[in-house]
Order: sequence, then C-alpha cells, then structure tokens
Amino acid sequence: MRNAPSFLKKLQHWQVLCFLSLICFLCLTSVATANPPDAPPVILIQNATILTVSHGTIANGSILIRDGKIAEVGSSIKAPKDAQVIDAAGQFVIPGIIDCHSHIAVDGSVNEGSVSVSSMANIADVLNPDDIDIYRDLAGGVTVANVLHGSANAIGGQTMVIKLRWGQPAAKLPFEGAVPGIKFALGENPKRTNFRIPAQTPRYPATRMGVEETIRAAFTEARDYKKTWDAYIKRSDAGEKNLIPPRRDLRLDPLVEVLEGKRYVHAHCYREDEILMLLRVAKEFGFKVRTLQHVLEGYKVADEIAASGAGASTFSDWWAYKVEAYDAIPYNAALMTRRGVIVSVNSDDAEEATHLNQEAAKSMKFGGLTHDEALKLVTLNPAIQLGIDKRVGSIDAGKDADLVIYNRDPLSAYAVVQKTLIDGRVYFDRERDIAGRADREKEKKELLEKEKKAAEKKPEEKKPDATVTIGQKPGEKKSEEKKPEEKPKPPTENETQDKPLESFRVVVRGGAQ
Amino acid sequence: MKICFGIQTRNSQRRSSLTDLCVFCLICLFCGVSSQAQAPSQAPAVYAITHAKIFTLAGETIDDGTVVIRDSRIAAVGAQVTVPQGAQVIDAKGLQVYPGLFDSVTQMGLREIGAVSATVDTTETGSFNPDAVASTAVSPSSEHIPVTRAAGITEVLAVPASGGFDSGGSQGILGGQASAIQLAGWTIEDMLLKKSAAMVLNWPKFETRMLDRTTFTRNEKPFSEAKQEYEKNVNELTDWFERARHYSQAMEKSTTANFNRDVKLEALAPVIRGELPLLVFAERAREIRNAVEFCEGQKVRMILAGGAEAYKVKDLLRSKSVPVILLPPLTLPLDEDDPYDRLLAQPAELAAADVKFAFASFDNSFSRRLGQNAANAVAHGLPYEEALRAVTLYPAQIFGLADQVGTLEEGKIANLIVTNGDPLELTTDVRYLFIRGQLTSTNNKQQALYEKYSKRPKPAN
Amino acid sequence: MFSGQKVRCLYGIVGILTAIALFAPPAAMGQGGEPRTFAIRGAKVVTVSGPALEEGTVVLSHGIITAVGKDAAIPPDAWVIDGKGLTIYPGFVDAFTDVGIPAPPAAAVAVAEGAPARRPVEPAARGPEDRPGSTPWRSGADEISLSDKRIEAWRAVGFTTVVSAPTGGYFPGQAAILDLHGERPGDFVVKTPVAVPVSLQAPNRPGAGFPSSLMGVLAYVHQVWLDTDWSMRAQAIYEKNPRGVERPRYDRTEAVLADALEDHVLVMIPGNNSVQLRRALELFDRWQVKGILYGAQMAYEVAPEIAAKKVPVLVNLKWPEAEKDADPEEKPSLRTLRFRDRAPSSPAALSKAGVKFAFYSGGIAAPKDILKAAKKAIDAGLAPEAALRAMTLSPAEIFGVSDRLGSIETGKIANLVIADGDLFAEKTKIKIVFVDGHRHEIREPEKPKDPPKGDITGKWKLSYTTPEGAEESVADLTMEKDGTVSGTITSKRGTASIISGYLSVDKFRFTINIVLDQGPTDVTFSGTFDGTSLKGAISVLTFSLDFTGVKPTKDSSIAATVLGGAQ
Repeated sequence: MRNAPSFLKKLQHWQVLCFLSLICFLCLTSVATANPPDAPPVILIQNATILTVSHGTIANGSILIRDGKIAEVGSSIKAPKDAQVIDAAGQFVIPGIIDCHSHIAVDGSVNEGSVSVSSMANIADVLNPDDIDIYRDLAGGVTVANVLHGSANAIGGQTMVIKLRWGQPAAKLPFEGAVPGIKFALGENPKRTNFRIPAQTPRYPATRMGVEETIRAAFTEARDYKKTWDAYIKRSDAGEKNLIPPRRDLRLDPLVEVLEGKRYVHAHCYREDEILMLLRVAKEFGFKVRTLQHVLEGYKVADEIAASGAGASTFSDWWAYKVEAYDAIPYNAALMTRRGVIVSVNSDDAEEATHLNQEAAKSMKFGGLTHDEALKLVTLNPAIQLGIDKRVGSIDAGKDADLVIYNRDPLSAYAVVQKTLIDGRVYFDRERDIAGRADREKEKKELLEKEKKAAEKKPEEKKPDATVTIGQKPGEKKSEEKKPEEKPKPPTENETQDKPLESFRVVVRGGAQ
Repeated sequence: MKICFGIQTRNSQRRSSLTDLCVFCLICLFCGVSSQAQAPSQAPAVYAITHAKIFTLAGETIDDGTVVIRDSRIAAVGAQVTVPQGAQVIDAKGLQVYPGLFDSVTQMGLREIGAVSATVDTTETGSFNPDAVASTAVSPSSEHIPVTRAAGITEVLAVPASGGFDSGGSQGILGGQASAIQLAGWTIEDMLLKKSAAMVLNWPKFETRMLDRTTFTRNEKPFSEAKQEYEKNVNELTDWFERARHYSQAMEKSTTANFNRDVKLEALAPVIRGELPLLVFAERAREIRNAVEFCEGQKVRMILAGGAEAYKVKDLLRSKSVPVILLPPLTLPLDEDDPYDRLLAQPAELAAADVKFAFASFDNSFSRRLGQNAANAVAHGLPYEEALRAVTLYPAQIFGLADQVGTLEEGKIANLIVTNGDPLELTTDVRYLFIRGQLTSTNNKQQALYEKYSKRPKPAN
Repeated sequence: MFSGQKVRCLYGIVGILTAIALFAPPAAMGQGGEPRTFAIRGAKVVTVSGPALEEGTVVLSHGIITAVGKDAAIPPDAWVIDGKGLTIYPGFVDAFTDVGIPAPPAAAVAVAEGAPARRPVEPAARGPEDRPGSTPWRSGADEISLSDKRIEAWRAVGFTTVVSAPTGGYFPGQAAILDLHGERPGDFVVKTPVAVPVSLQAPNRPGAGFPSSLMGVLAYVHQVWLDTDWSMRAQAIYEKNPRGVERPRYDRTEAVLADALEDHVLVMIPGNNSVQLRRALELFDRWQVKGILYGAQMAYEVAPEIAAKKVPVLVNLKWPEAEKDADPEEKPSLRTLRFRDRAPSSPAALSKAGVKFAFYSGGIAAPKDILKAAKKAIDAGLAPEAALRAMTLSPAEIFGVSDRLGSIETGKIANLVIADGDLFAEKTKIKIVFVDGHRHEIREPEKPKDPPKGDITGKWKLSYTTPEGAEESVADLTMEKDGTVSGTITSKRGTASIISGYLSVDKFRFTINIVLDQGPTDVTFSGTFDGTSLKGAISVLTFSLDFTGVKPTKDSSIAATVLGGAQ
C-alpha cells in the first residue's frame, strides 16, 4: 500500500468513513462487542497477483466485491465510482484459509473427558467470541475454523464451523448453513494411554478393541433409539391416543443425526489399523466418516481412505510425540493426495494456525505437490471436507469475499499477511493494528493510573512488596517468612464470574507452541 | 499451547510393558537404516565442490567458487581454488553452499518418543543435577538425527532438562551439562564437538498464574505466596553456588585426598571458575533481570535461553553482553494485550539493540523448523544476513565453537550443506550434506517410509 | 429548685422501675413488653412508591404500616418516636444471598463447584442420569439458622429482607423471601418458594465425574429440563390409563423443576460478562422458562439486548476490582481493566435501557460495603432514586411480592429504615430498623480506648437494690480480643440485648435500649472489672443505682436464682 498514492487519497475518506469502527477495531483485542469494521458495499482489490485456487493465477488481476460476495474476478475490472479501492500492487491474494481442526473460541474446557461418549456436549453452547486467538489466527489469514471438541472420548462432543468474525457476538460466529459435526477419537487419547487424571478412576476403554466396542455400542443404542421414535411417530400419526412419547436423549440425538447423514463425523486417528477399524464400523452402521483428523498413518492406507470417500486432515510435519505418531511422515499430505484423497492441512493449535500457508508449502518439498495443490490443502480442500465449498475455498464470482492479502507469495516463510477479509469486511489490517497499538497502551496506562489513585484512597490495604533480593543465603529471613494467614478460598459462582475470559499463556518450550 | 494436544503429548506415568516392547522393536527396526546413512563405507578423503555460490559467512559471498574438503576439514575456499588430484568433484553449478545449520537447544538423542518415558532421558529426578552430562545419554541411532540432518542441520546442542514439545513441564533447576554434537557418527565420540558446552539452569519461575499440566486447569496463587516460593528457590540456588565456590577453593588449595569429594559440587566448579557458561532458561523480564543480577553476583558467564520477554530488558542484556538463545519466533505472545507478532518482531528488535542471539527449536521433532523460524523473523524486519548467522556462526560463537564450525573457512570442520536455494526457505532441498568431511546421506526413516508406501500396490476390490 | 430535684428524683425512680420492669422477652409481646404500635412523627418519608413527604408521620401496628401521611392520626397506644431530622425508607432487600442459611453439605459444593476436596465426596457421576449437583428440593425456607450472625449484621445496615437460597450445585435449591426478625425459623418466611436458581459453574477439579466442563454442565442442564418436561407429559398420560404401560419413573429433581416449567416459580440464570449474559438470554428461550438474570456486571455492553428480552436482572454489587495481593509486574489485560472500570455503570445502562433490576450483595462479606457498592453505581451515572428502588420496590416486584414489601404504603409489612440523613450521603447513620414492626435500635458500638485487661466473657450475676427491694439479673457477656463486648441482660422479667459495650483496661461499659414513656431510652451499666468481679452503676437518664457482679461457680445456680421466679 505504501507505493500506492491513488489508494492513499481514497484512504482519507475511507479512514473518516470507518473512523469509529476503526477505534473499536483497534480495541478489538479486548472488546468482544466492538462493532465489526463496516464495509462499504463495493470494494475493488486491484493490481494483485490472484491465486484463485480453482482456476489458476491471474497476474495483475482485480477482485470486485459487492455486499460481501465476490462479484467479479479478472484482469481488467473498472472500479465502479462508489467502490472503495484497495490497491494491492505487488501483493498476493488468496482465498481465506480454512482450518479444519481448531480449538479456538471455546469457553471452558474443550474436553468433556468424564465419559467415553460425550456426544451431549456441544461446542455451539460455549462459543467464546472474546478468545484473543481468534484475532491472532485472523492475522495469520484464517477466515474459517472447524471448532472441535477434544479427543478424550471415543465419541466426543458436537462441533461447529465458524467464521473468524472478530468483534462480533457469539451468535454471529457460526458459518451459516454449515453442516454441524461430531468429534470421534481413536487410539491413545480415548484409551488414556498418555493421560490419566490423578483423581480419576481409570475409564473404559483402555484398548483399541474397547474403543471400537464403545463406538459400536453407542450406535447400536442410537439405532434402537431411532427405531423407538419412528414407531412412536408412526402410531401417533395413525391417530393412536394416550401414547407416552419416548424420552429425548441429548447423547443419542446427534448420533441419530449421524446415521441420517445430517451430521459430519470428524475422527481423530493415527494408526492405519484404527483408521480401517472406523471405516468398517461406519460401513456396518451405514454412516460416512466425513474427515479423518491427524490421520498420520493415512499414507499407509490411502487407497482405502480414498475408496471410503472420507477426507483426510493432517499435520504438515509433526511426529514422534507418541508411539502412534512415530511413523508420521511429512509426505503424508502429498502421498494421500496422489492416491485420490481430498487432503487438508490443519493446526489443532492456535499458534500453528497462524502459518498454515507455510505448513501447506512444505508438501511441495515433501512429495512434490504443485503450487496450486499445496494451496488447496488449506483453502478449497478443507472447504470441500466441511461441505462449504459452494460458499468459500476459492476466488470465484458468487463466493463469499473471504480473502487474504499477502505481501508476497504465501507459500513462502517470508510472506506476511497484510489484510484479512471476511464477507468483504476487513477484519484484520496489519497497518491498522500497528497504528492502534499506542492508543491501546495509552488507555491501559490511564486505567491503571485511575485504579492506583482509587487504591490510595483506602490506605488500609498495603501494597505487596515487589522487591526481590537475589542471593540471600537460606536461613536469612526471607525463606523463613510465614505463609500468608489467609488461604484463598475456592471462588464462588459470582467471584469466578467477575473474571472476564482472559487469555494467558505458559511458555512450553518446543517448536509448535 | 492447545489442551487437546497437550494431552496427546504428556508423558505417561504408567505404560503397559507392551508399549515399551513396541517402541523397542520400532527403534531396532530402524537403527539399521540410519547408521548406514551415517557413514559410507569407503569415504574418499578429498572432495571438491565446484562452481557453487558460496556463502562463507566470513567475508564476501563467492558467486562461482570451489570448496575443497580434506579428511574432516575444509582445506580451501575461494574463487580461484584449484581442484586437488584424486578429489571427488561435485559440480554444484546453480547450487549454493552454506555452513551447516546449528540448533542451539534440542533434546537430540535424549528423547525418542515423547510419550514413552522408556525412550526419554532428558531430565533427572530432583532439582539439582549439575553432574548429569547429556552426551552420556545421547543415542547415536535416534531416528531424529537423520530426520533433522535432512533439514540441513549439522550441529545441535543436546540439552538436558530443557523441556521440549512434550516435557510435561517438569525440569530441575540445575539440569545438567549440555553437549554440542554433530549429527553423524557411529558413536558419540565421533559426534562430539564439546562434551560440556554449558550448564543448564532453569531459572525458578515467578508466576501467580500457572497451568497445572497434569489436569490442564488454571491455578492462581497470591503474589506474596509466589514471591516466597520464588525466593526460596533462588536462595537454595545461591546456597549451591556458595558451597560450590568453597569447594572449588578447597580443590585448588589441597589434593583430592584432603577433602570430601562431592561430584555435584565438583561439576559446578568449572562454572564458578568462569570456564563453563550457565545456560539460563527464563522467559519473563523479571526472571531474566534477576538471573542477570545473580550471574553477575556469582561472577559466572550467562547465556539466556528462551527470553520471551528479552525485548523488555534488551539494554540490560547488551550492557552485560548476555547472548540469547531465542524462543522460536513462531510462538504466540505471552499476554493477551501483546501485539500478535510480538515474538516474530523480537529478533529484529534485539538485533537493532545490538544484542547477540541465536535461534533454536528447543525441541527434537521440530528441530527442522529452525530455518522456517529464522525466515519468519526476517519477514518481520530482521536483516537476512543476521538470520543466517543466527543459525550458524552466532551459536558457534556463543558456545565457544567458532574456531571449529559456523563459517566456511580453511581449517574449520567441514560441516556444510549444498542446497538448491535459501536454506531458510520452506521449499529448499539439501542436495549434499557434509559432516566431519564425510558426504553424509540425507535419507531417513520418513523418506524410507515414503518410498515404501509410494510403492504400495492398489489393494484388490 | 429542691422540689424540682425531688420531682426529677421521683421521676427517675419511676424510670428505673419501668426500665427494669420492661426487660421483657419478645416472646411476651404485648404483655408490657416491647410495644407493637409505633408512630414516627415529623420525619422525611421516602415512600419509593410515591413522592417523598418532607415532614410526615408513619404509623405501624402489629407489623403492618397502618398510616402514612403529613398528619396521620397517631393512635393513643402508640409509642411516639420524634423523627425530626430523620429520614424513613422502606426496608432494604438483598435480592440474592444465602444469609440466614447455613453452608450446604460439602458434597453438593464439592461436586458442583470443584472445591479442592481430596477425593470426590460423593461418587463421581457417570452421566446426566445420576443428577450430579442437583438438589432443587432443598429450600431456603426450611434451612434457616437463627445462629447465622449475618442476620443481625445485614439488619444493622438496613436490610429487613433477603431472598435466600441454598448454595452449591447446578440446581442448589429454592429461594425464599425472608424477613430478618423472628424467634423461630417460621417467623422469617415471607414467601416460599419464589425462584429456582441455576448455577453453571463447571468444576475446576480433576476426576470430578460428569460434568467436568462448561459444555458438559450446559448439556446436563439442557437434559434435565427436557426430562422434566417429558416426565410431566408422560405422568399425565400414564395417570389416564396406567394399564399395560411402563410406569414413568419418579425423579425428585424433575418434581421440583416442573413448577418452573409451569411458571409457578422463576428460574434464575447466571451471566456476568457479555458472553455469559448473551448465552443466558438464549437459555430462557431454549429451556422455555420465565425468570431472572443474575450477575450482570458487564450489562453495560448488552443492556439493550436484555431489554429486548424483557428479562428482569439482579446486579451483583461485588464489583470486580484488583486483587489485593496481585503481582505488580503482571499488568491485567485491557479487557479486565475496562471491566473493572465500567462494571459499576451497568445499573445505569440497565436503567437507561428500561430494564427492571435489583441489587444483591453477591460475594460482599462486610454488609457495610453493600451500600458503598450501590453508591459506586450512582457515581457511575445511576439516579439515586433508581438505586434506592433497586434495593426496595424493584426486588419486591421482580419476586412478585410488591403487594406486601418494597415501599412505605398503608397495609404493607412494616419494614422501615430510619436514618439521620440521606441514605447515600457519606456521614449518614442508620438509627432504627423496623422488621415486621419490630424495632431494632442500631448503634455504632463504642470501641474501647485501650486494650482490655482480662476477659469479661461469661455469665455474670448482677445484684442491686431497687426501691422494690433486692433484685438480681444475669449478664451473659462475650468479649472480642479488642475488648468489644456483646451479649444480653436477663432479669426476672425478660431479656434485652446489649447494643454497645466494651472493656477498656479494667473499665467496662455496656448499654441496652428499652422504651420508656418518653420513648426509646438507654440503660447503661458501667464500672470496674477487677478480674473476678464487676463493680459499678446502672444509670437511666439522670438516675442511677449501684450494682455488683460475680461469676457463680455453676450456671445452674443462676437459672435457679434468677429465672426461678419467672416460672
């Protein structure tokens, strides 16, 4: 943008236009209800290298956005006079990145780990639009995320696809019309190989055999449950009176939806054998597995996966953190692609999600995917896997204007996101973000000052002594100090509710964290 | 860090013996592959890499030059170098030569499969193990070595008690001695660059908010309590150093017969004498400040590791000339209000402030992301040359190995890579790799599996 | 002069006679004890329901407000209190608390709130069918504990009424409206049940069993409402023709919640920050229940949405603030800072949006802080009248008892607060609180100047001689470390509690307040404590007589000597 005076001129009135929303936008790393940046109904992105994913690359192309949708894509589009023009000279535009395995934007734990079948738990109930990781991933070009329950259970909770509309309330996050999902998990996690909560009594299943049986038992139950309901409806439709309806069971409802093909199965899995096991069970009960998640040994059974019609959503190069990940190879995505599987590369982690474009690029080195094939791993393919490819995943007229603008080819470690648009609205703008930092720091200082003044009014509270003296010998008072008299008691409902949902991070050393 | 993943990667306390067995088999199964990969049987003594663009990182880059390797050393580098008789010539036209990359913090060879404690030798029990030496437990046939090597990494520091992707968060305070190793060799002796390159000190945490990694619940404690705990740890640490100082004086004054031997204090003596640097792991500004103050007080050399908030104390670090082994820039900010690119922008900020730093993966399986992380720092303002030095020359300098590795200069150990492009870029391939003058295979377990399953015939039906 | 003195002396004797005569137990109401008819005259009357009277009279009789007006007729038998310079408010209502109710069984709490218990105190639930953390059949009205010190403490700052519910669990139990005066639990209860509070606090504890996450908690509560609905319908159908039909099982959780589904009781749903509040608003629809939002400290962000749903709100007055023992180097997030800064503006925002709201004490431990917290809301833009309403008429309306509580109107329960100035003014002191027409004299207890010498705690036999002859009474004293003394004085004729007392070095002084012809009057016992006995004087008005006090070896002997006469 710096080398674009024409744009700068426009920028003035554009700035004025959205000054208020801009302010909110700058505050958006803390206020959930900040108004989303208003978008002028018509935007023209021009002079960009456009990687459409669906129909090749357009050098020096333009994208016309009308009311949040892509109206036109081409090499020479005239700017309508009411259009706000974004000059992207020298920059690259790709479809918004779709993360097919995310755990962001969840209020509370992502695992209802107390039971082996936690299908009654639903991510939709606990969306947290204030999660700062939404913004961080947005800044990494992610526009859509498949928010999943954790992998502690053979059958986990219900999942949902969201758009990263940062600043909007929870009700505005869900991807309209996207088919809801449910999380399955196979292998070490559901059988609790590497994870045992101290106070918790060991939980069935403890083997891969038990995992299969847990799933079969649940679906057998769900099938009977469905039968009962069908019978009831039949009889009551036949006008029979005084029928006691079956009891609704939130645990079984979603499984019935799976049987009816109304809910997608996203199955966390690693080893080839467990992958095939699930495909067999699915066949037995007549449902489809929509995506195999992680599926690090997918390359060993790529043909079977392809035949089953399941998609595969994997990591770029994670391996060896546990036995079932020891045979993981960075060629996995490429090899499965070559065998006809629809493959995506996912994050499973808020940090990894900030550079999924780079993770996709690795499959060119490992397995020799083409530039377009690599880009598909984080755009069109996950869109297909989530059944939203009519709306997103490529830059085509009629699709949602979910776009990412990079300063250079996004399949490089040197590419930096400049802007992220969702529904034609600029939800992330690097320049704005940087420009806004000072104001936020200022506001923070002022609020802290205000609090300090208020505290000074009541002198009875003494400030904690922050001075630390390094190098005392033990025995020299400090270590002798008594523990404070009053132990903090467990917070009451109200006390814990006082705390807004604040993110904090403990540094765990290691690559992806 | 993600809850879900954390769960996947926690060390299991109780493993079924079956699992152990599996792992044992797996390792045996692949030892063959990797050791063959390490040293070709009849390795010619002399190589000449010709017509390459040579990034010596010592002075000018040579656009069309030759590197001569004799035995384990670089015999000559230059545009006008003549190819010696009988040298095996590698025509590197259109290729580029760089010093091999150096990953300054890993648990290479100390951990095979994070979740299987039988394969993990990273961290001793107890808080003070200065006498533990990494090289003792480094497994030369770890599958991680050839995999990492394939990414152009020729040297790493194997660091005990340094956490890692699946550390479960438990590290001692004095964790032991880190060893600098080269990523090829039949035995650890072949691989060793420096048995004791640094003493690991995990600086005590000063935190009121912690993540309980066993239950993944968030715990808070009052500041006064946290402070008290912190000071207790720091005092205990100080006491260790006082005793070690007394001990080393005793050592100098008298013969071993005249004083009670103590292996732990004895291991600390070189640190006290300023011969061995302390590799201090600390993230928060306060912890870093206190650590610097501590090391100054104890008159010991400090290398900061981690330094998520190093930018907050950059002037201090420069003035005390404390080098930093930086947390991967691809790490999310510590605090909600930090700019989203806080750690990506830090390297540029430190470089501008003239603080010396090197990049590191702080891990095994992510060691191969070393270049990617350096490149991301460049994308956020770090000069490219600096990034390249921060994965080659600077680590060598920081750990006192610059006379042996880190640049392409006559006389240095021939650890170098021949690539088809920028070694920091995601898509670049390493075409030739030399370690100790040996042309070393970049084949590895993963490539073998790839080739094996690429050949799998379509199943019938 | 002489005669005058004599008169005063005689008067005094009459006084003290009456005084001692009137140590009457509340049990003996109406038999020469505490009167049941009062008239406060010439005070400013803030009726809340209507305009304030600058100088009016309020008449109470047998627990009811019988007259309010500029010159309301004062019945002859009324004890008249001169209200000059005083302001009368309706008794305050703490709209959500557990004052008056002892702590719940550990089990309920531990399982629900994840209290750090060594092991689950009740077997970890395996699923919704085990009904974890559900005790909706518990009732605040049935668990009143007279020994709860908070009853007096809350009353002392003007709270005549509380909405109290058991705590712990997702369905802790039913809330009841209690007036803070009574001899036995039944006397407290104004109405029960009025609401069923729901808590969504996920356990932060490993091995908690189901549910262990917020997701799980919500799934559980959803299921419980579905089951309740099903049971109601199934039971109805079954009753029609039980033959050949499998009997629907009984579930006491559902049995109670059915009332809520039939809108007999309100459901209280928590929501404090904007995310929780918006979620809560959706839950009303999903569960198809009528109810109340509680928490609401970030309502400043969602007030219009709350207004649109027409849901009443209880605002938690325990405003978020910096932890006392916080790390000075660890700066809270801007989000947190803004929340702390703006939370007190939530009531103003609700008021502006036209939402009906009331205040509750939430986690506030010291009742004196409750009014201070309300004052913060006023400083943040809430009209003082609105603040007062949120502690009086609004809660009464929200819980459907505005026909008997919440304002100063003829026919309503005689719950009054009499202060010496404007409620929210810095200096204002509350003088008298009437609960159900029972007078409670409020006194800032005098603090001893110096630390006490020895401990005066115990039962003392006080001996003195009245014109009637020798008399005894018992002082049952409790002394705090700092020398503050509380307790009761019991004579042949009854008991009065000490409203203020102390021991400073060896000097003691404690005061009771009784009603004489000329209105409420202090009787003061003061003198010296030599470590074993008390020596001093009882004084009323200008008259006084000496007394001595000793600790009898056996308490029983006291009972014999003193109370013997009464039987």
